[in-house]
Amino acid sequence: MSGRQRSRRAVVTGLGVVAPHGIGVEAFWKATVDGASSLGPVTREGCDHMPLRVAGEVRGFDAEEVIEGRYLVQTDRFTHFALAAAELALADARFGRADVESPYSVGVVTAAGSGGGEFGQRELQNLWGQGSRYVGPYQSIAWFYAASTGQISIRNDFKGPCGVVAGDEAGGLDALARAALSVRQGTDTVVCGATEAPLAPYSIVCQLGYPELSRATEPDRAYRPFTDAACGFVPAEGGAVLLVEAEEAARERGAEARATVAGHAATFTGASRWEESRAGLARAIEGALAEAGCRPEEVDVVFADALGVPEADRAEALALADALGPHARRVPVTAPKTGTGRAYCAAPVLDVASAVLAMEHGLIPPTPHVSDVCHDLDLVAGRARPAEPRTALVLSRGLMGFNSALVLRRGAAPSSE
Amino acid sequence: MTDQLDYQMTIEDLSTLMKRTAGVHVDPVTLRRQAEAGFDTFGLDSLGLLGIVAELEKRYGFGLPEQAERCKTPADFLALVNGALKTGV
Repeated sequence: MSGRQRSRRAVVTGLGVVAPHGIGVEAFWKATVDGASSLGPVTREGCDHMPLRVAGEVRGFDAEEVIEGRYLVQTDRFTHFALAAAELALADARFGRADVESPYSVGVVTAAGSGGGEFGQRELQNLWGQGSRYVGPYQSIAWFYAASTGQISIRNDFKGPCGVVAGDEAGGLDALARAALSVRQGTDTVVCGATEAPLAPYSIVCQLGYPELSRATEPDRAYRPFTDAACGFVPAEGGAVLLVEAEEAARERGAEARATVAGHAATFTGASRWEESRAGLARAIEGALAEAGCRPEEVDVVFADALGVPEADRAEALALADALGPHARRVPVTAPKTGTGRAYCAAPVLDVASAVLAMEHGLIPPTPHVSDVCHDLDLVAGRARPAEPRTALVLSRGLMGFNSALVLRRGAAPSSE
Repeated sequence: MTDQLDYQMTIEDLSTLMKRTAGVHVDPVTLRRQAEAGFDTFGLDSLGLLGIVAELEKRYGFGLPEQAERCKTPADFLALVNGALKTGV
């Protein structure tokens, strides 16, 4: 990133959250900072006989209340979440019609790993149960992982650079990096993020093959990364959408730059090769810090990937030590996702939302269900910790081997000090 | 859905189908008054019309002409479907 490009810094001006902890930033942050847990039994229709017992479900989400009929019939639950979260992000940023200089000045980038499993299953059941005439035409678009970007673009008439990142769970961070790149290349505003709805029978069957999936039956014991009791991760649905703007565009319309997307890097080390993810994640951290012009000691909080698989947790702790040096033992590390579950691509985007809120509120949220950490990390457990974080490092790894790191600075921070 | 004995599709039928298969709600009075307006003005896209054609083919048990899914207005669509129903059964 050159100095010239830095003059178009990408800043976060709005957060839209639809998560197991609640709908909207206020409910989400309250539960996150309280260290609450939204993990519970899987209650989605048709899932009760599955050997997956615990998940993070979004409750109380009435799609019909917030989305017009013509979008509802042609979209899956994961896109309903995306449309709702995008709306919340725009409202949170007070970004209205009048702020759209031209439809081409607003882009959309999302990431998705699970796609429209519920919609797709219904239509495939119609196909094999009744015949091809019973498959609706929207099957062609609804289950596609790109659906959310398209529908957000269509519904809001946003015609700027649009994209979809297929990068595993880490793709959530890559989507934000793609948005920041668009901003640096001249787009004023990008709606970006990820939402997932993987708690439908077909989607769950797909996940049952993951050795990393927690089969625990008790919500408070199902997802405990960095402990001796780690037994895998709990999946979740929901996600977050952010409004990322060019700093100058935000300033012109009087919007507050709440955080700066300062650096990002990604690597790939192969599916379920957790030991090798150490080097890949360390490299991603180093790359993200370099782009941000950030020394390791400047990192005030780490939002960990926290997979909950002993080998992967060890690799992450070692990657932090490799990339941050002695600072890795001092910097507060947190994984609030143990209270919501991992919503695949959306998990790191929710962490980014938490990181922005943590910097604003001066509070590092805790890691629910976790105590007795067995790694050389200062993991924030129990209660939220008062602090003045100005730089946050968010980490994500995917089950298929993608590693990403994102550096956020509080407010409209310059990229290097 | 009941079979229609006279095999003629009405503006009310179209309104109902638009709502049920494409989630687009336009009441029959408005639809009749604006029968010459493009489907896109009501927010019905090409996949939406395709869904309506598929629904009608299921109901009547035979295929409609290919042009059906390319009709631009409610009036064109009803004329084509009702023409096909007269000759096609």
